[in-house]
Amino acid sequence: MMRYIRLHRIFIAQYLKRLMEYKVDFMLGAIGLLIAQGMQLIFLGIIFSAIPALKGWQFEEVLFIYGFSLVPKTIDHLFTDNLWMVGYRIIRKGEFDKYLTRPINTLYHVIAENFCVDAFGELLTCILLLAYSIPKLSIPFHWYTIPLFLIVSIFATLIYTSLKIMTSAISFWTKASGHITHMLYMTNDFGKYPVTIYNKAVQALITYVIPFAFTAYFPATYFLTGKNPLFCLGGTVIAGTVLFLLAIFVWNRGLRAYESAGS
Amino acid sequence: MSRVKRFFRTYTPFTRAGMQEMVAYRANFLCFLIGEIMASFIMYFVWKAVFDSSGSETFMGFTMEDMVVYLFITFLAGYLTYSDGAFTVGEEIIDGSIAMRMIRPCSFEMCFLFQELGNRIISVSMIFVPIVAGVEIYRYVQAGEVRFQPIYFLLFLLSLVFAYMISFYFNVCYGFMAFFFKNLWGTTLIKETVVNFLSGAIVPLAFLPAGLANVLNFLPFASLSYTPVMIYMGMYSYSEIAWRMGLQIFWLLVMYGLSKLIWRSAVRHLSVQGG
Repeated sequence: MMRYIRLHRIFIAQYLKRLMEYKVDFMLGAIGLLIAQGMQLIFLGIIFSAIPALKGWQFEEVLFIYGFSLVPKTIDHLFTDNLWMVGYRIIRKGEFDKYLTRPINTLYHVIAENFCVDAFGELLTCILLLAYSIPKLSIPFHWYTIPLFLIVSIFATLIYTSLKIMTSAISFWTKASGHITHMLYMTNDFGKYPVTIYNKAVQALITYVIPFAFTAYFPATYFLTGKNPLFCLGGTVIAGTVLFLLAIFVWNRGLRAYESAGS
Repeated sequence: MSRVKRFFRTYTPFTRAGMQEMVAYRANFLCFLIGEIMASFIMYFVWKAVFDSSGSETFMGFTMEDMVVYLFITFLAGYLTYSDGAFTVGEEIIDGSIAMRMIRPCSFEMCFLFQELGNRIISVSMIFVPIVAGVEIYRYVQAGEVRFQPIYFLLFLLSLVFAYMISFYFNVCYGFMAFFFKNLWGTTLIKETVVNFLSGAIVPLAFLPAGLANVLNFLPFASLSYTPVMIYMGMYSYSEIAWRMGLQIFWLLVMYGLSKLIWRSAVRHLSVQGG
């Protein structure tokens, strides 16, 4: 474990060196994500300029849930963005062989290789949203609120990362699966809004099948109301853990099925 | 006449190649599409909640029925007019392989255009009918009568062709600009979100403050998806349609001229570097 932490420091340091060379690239990526988020917020602003509340949700509450949804998304984006490349390029081009020859865990190596600083655009939006909405909401605050927030963020991130690992691992069998990852990943936007606006089928889907509701809505409502901690937070922890174990299993099975595509 | 014939004989192979490419990757395309259309469904639920909460039948002049048509036809128009064929131009300028294109006896942008048309033929045949049929069935169930108007539909198709051509030449220009930016992912993201917003794909332009909406209605971006969608919905009178299409043709000419201008200066630039 210590060895991996040390390795990760080296990987990130290496990445930051590369980054310093391409400062403009980094800025453009981050600005792009910032603008993309900003446009969505203008949309929300226009809606709320005409109605007082969305199915009983106040503007600030919606912003809080939206901001909360960006926490796991940003962390996942920052650290595990390279997984996309597994499905899009690495396996199809036979580049995966490289990872097999190294004396470290393949999954860890793939993830650690890239550190996606573009995510700072999302991070900034996330901080702004939370900083704007929290003071306007009467959030019950206890000594354990912040530790709980941190813990739940980690498990919510695991939900994202695990789904990405699983869909990327499909390419061990099919050579390319970037589009499957994309398809699943797009459903995460359902989690940005209060799930009560969806019909029962969609609610069930994003709660029990692809549990994106646990990445934002459920934990965020716990922090907003202090109610139902067992379901809201426990659900996130369970979903994160189960999906992660499943992801590791699928990845390892995939490794066994892997045949190099390179020549 | 023979020139027209030769023109098509030269470029139809590109269309065929584009079609074959699309057929080869159709599973990927479908997955991609399902992911993309998810966003429209999320918007559907958000708007439904808005209409439920506002307590009135209309929201800034739109009914829920209009909103559904707007969302899905905008998705369709946005998808059909999306053009990235010319994007590789930028890359080819950087690595010099553009030289190979320049010595061929065909126009480089026509190659892209016809290849992309091949792509579109396949993708249109896969999504156009399901989406239009879906929207019309929804309207029929909601309103209890057939709302489909063939004349507006034909005008919509015509407007969509203009929109596609504007988008094509706009992206040719962008492809040349990509030469200056290295992070294609970042700049493309910026371009796409800004274009999306300015073209009314995120919020209908009618919902924006009047001054801003008026300006955006004149910009080329409204011609990309807002104009065809409004025509489809029957929001414009015939005289307004004529005027909007005139505007589309105007922007098409501007984009065409601009792409030629940039192309010429890019060629000159190339010849300075080459040797």
